[in-house]
Amino acid sequence: MAFLGAAILAPLFSAAQPAPALVTLCSACHGPNGNSQLKDVPSLAGQPKIFIENQLVLIREGMRDIAQMKGMLDKVPDSELTALAVHYASLPIAKPTAKRQAALFSRGETLSQEMRCGICHLPTYVGREQMPRLAGQREDYLLYTMRAMKANQAVGRDSIMIASLYGISDEDLQAISHYLSRLAN
Amino acid sequence: MIRQFKQVGLLVSMSMLAATAQAQAPAAAPAPAPAWKQGMPDNMATSTLAPLAGKLTATKAADVPLDKIKLPPGFKVEVWADSVPGSRAITQGDGGKYYVGTRPLGRIYEITDNGTTRTSRVLVDKLNQPTAAYKDGSLIVMSVDKVLHYQNIDKNPNVAPVDLTAKFNLPPEQHHNWKYIAFGPDGKLYVPFGAPCNICEPPSAEYAQIRRYNADGSNMEVLARGVRNTVGFDWHPVTKELWFSNHGRDWMGDDTPNDTMNRLKVGGHYGFPSCHQGNLPDPDVKRAKPCDGIEQPVALMGPHASSMGVKFYSGNMFPAEYRNVLFNARKGSWNRTKKIGYDVVMVRADADGKNAKVEPFMTGFFNEADQSFWGRPAYLHQMKDGSMLVSDEQMGVIYRVSYSK
Repeated sequence: MAFLGAAILAPLFSAAQPAPALVTLCSACHGPNGNSQLKDVPSLAGQPKIFIENQLVLIREGMRDIAQMKGMLDKVPDSELTALAVHYASLPIAKPTAKRQAALFSRGETLSQEMRCGICHLPTYVGREQMPRLAGQREDYLLYTMRAMKANQAVGRDSIMIASLYGISDEDLQAISHYLSRLAN
Repeated sequence: MIRQFKQVGLLVSMSMLAATAQAQAPAAAPAPAPAWKQGMPDNMATSTLAPLAGKLTATKAADVPLDKIKLPPGFKVEVWADSVPGSRAITQGDGGKYYVGTRPLGRIYEITDNGTTRTSRVLVDKLNQPTAAYKDGSLIVMSVDKVLHYQNIDKNPNVAPVDLTAKFNLPPEQHHNWKYIAFGPDGKLYVPFGAPCNICEPPSAEYAQIRRYNADGSNMEVLARGVRNTVGFDWHPVTKELWFSNHGRDWMGDDTPNDTMNRLKVGGHYGFPSCHQGNLPDPDVKRAKPCDGIEQPVALMGPHASSMGVKFYSGNMFPAEYRNVLFNARKGSWNRTKKIGYDVVMVRADADGKNAKVEPFMTGFFNEADQSFWGRPAYLHQMKDGSMLVSDEQMGVIYRVSYSK
């Protein structure tokens, strides 16, 4: 099934390499090879291609409003956004090095299971299609973005996630972020 | 924002979570299931069924596998417009203009047809799931939370819109509140308001309705209740009655409930939340005799098939047997282990809705053997020459289906 699907979609994946100047621009914040070294800035390495592509389009269109990226993608054509998505999806995410705090990690693991994050993001939390990888993402970014979703400030993002986080405590968000960021899947 | 209106089918694990939260953080409220997941029974807790990814980037006509599309003998299909990502409902203006809405992309496209080629521009963007309806030289654009009126856009293509939002009294919940809108033969604007959940007691009476308004938002009337989520309708060419598609709920198994095709009875109740497809009690929202007095569907359109755009054929190009036949685009299922839909079907029925038969018309977007799909037909529009436009939301193109002997 996956093989045949890939064959049909092959033309969509045969995008050219992204323009080096664009990659340099992205790298300034998202890190060399897509592994972010900056607080609150997400890693792009290893994210599903469709997820990156969709977000880049929504950011360019102004549907997803990110102050630091405002205007940066103006007039960048779809083909370049797709090339960027293919590029970052193919890069390996760095192995997490931060130390696990056993109690917090275990609490985050239980919460993630109970909230059934794995139905969409897959049980290994590596994401698929339009649904992002959570495993190995920066802890501060996971917390930042889930807080924004919970506060209904994640404009342009899927309202499913706003609903999924309704009413959850900040302590629980911290535990989930701690757990997911330390997974080497 | 999904507020905490009465959720049903709350998960056992959610109450466990609540207990954990109470022990460690007394202030935390239990998190309800997200709207699309409400009503999921525990035996589906390990399901990996999830909504399917859309494609937001432009597709060129040359990259559409047109030769895979199958139609009855004598019909042919071409790509009429390409590079219009996310295209959904189509409304026709004057002077070769067509207006096409989108969901996540937030755009209304204006496509100009010069007879042999098409050009397009973005009329308006950054709206929350906008759609459009055209009448008498003016365009109404309606998103989940905004109504814009482009007066005399036929004479002034760059007219600034007037904001009519306050007149329409739109309820606040977003889920299932993308709208299909259209002007009826009575000149009124018909607007649905979906249930803001998969299955729930709606938070207020403003949801699960079909309403009509004057074009300026005045004189609102509620025409039908208990309509979970209609995203397509048209008026019968002879009886002038409104027929509408309606989406059934998720997480009730592969084969129940069906999406339905219905006739509008003014003041009628169509069953949501406690009765589906006219005869199937809901396992979560229980009421005594839930299906008593519920309007019966004309036809069952397939479980989870995503029955979208509706168009009665009233042209002269197709053979006589197609006259007054209802065409329905089925965007295709996600909440089913074996996919169905991804096609355009015909509903042949008597004018009073009896003896309905559902038959395939336009197929080939989906491969049963490997469960892959490449296109998702969404909306239909009959052109003045009698040919039919079909929008493909996945490919972001619009097909034209024509007939010649």
